[in-house]
Amino acid sequence: MSETAHQDHIEKKAFLVNSSSLKEVRNFCRDVFEKLQIQEDLKDELVLAIAEAAQNIVKHAFKNAASPTELMVVQISCENNKLQIAFYDRGTPVDPKKVKHREIDNVKPGGLGTFFIQEIMDAVEFKDGKKPWINHLVLTKQL
Amino acid sequence: MSYKVTEEGNIATVHLDGEIDMDVTEKAKEVIFPHIDAGKEVHLNLSNVQYMDSSGISVLIESHQKGLEKGTKVIIKDVSKSVLKVIMMAKLEQILNLE
Repeated sequence: MSETAHQDHIEKKAFLVNSSSLKEVRNFCRDVFEKLQIQEDLKDELVLAIAEAAQNIVKHAFKNAASPTELMVVQISCENNKLQIAFYDRGTPVDPKKVKHREIDNVKPGGLGTFFIQEIMDAVEFKDGKKPWINHLVLTKQL
Repeated sequence: MSYKVTEEGNIATVHLDGEIDMDVTEKAKEVIFPHIDAGKEVHLNLSNVQYMDSSGISVLIESHQKGLEKGTKVIIKDVSKSVLKVIMMAKLEQILNLE
């Protein structure tokens, strides 16, 4: 937990659901975390967690089917030093029970994104998506 | 992501540059794997890679495993601090050949 009081802030941005948007997602997060004056090491971790969650939307909720129109929204809010990152998409509904990472000692490609998210964030919660959204993921971290 | 490859004897050095994410992993594999398949010792220089996500880590694991299969070595060199942190988070620092 940091000792710095971070200003309350909320910002959101929509991105096309495809792998080439991931860099834009990272740059959006870096800009917001810069405004929030989050220290460098934590900023890198948070960017990784958010990019992994966005990647999961592209890879799993949309099964890598790049769409010229489908959007995912990333909303970053900070209130009373609690950081909350919300993701909204209209892909295949996610069954939270099926979201798990591979055994970390079973070294093989894949299955690490969810592990990174869980390692970095304090909480990972799938909420009911309200129309027009289907999936609503919320990541939280106390700063 | 951009890259540069230099070959000296049986060693192919692949310098990757930029951010390694899902969008560029296929390109990274296309650059790295042929050298492993050819039985070369591959040095992956990551000094100019400032960001790598789980997809990039998968490329490192696949390269390492392919090297073992082909009886050669994949050595990861000059890893930046930020990428090393991700490798360590994945608990791979004892598995991959890091120099």
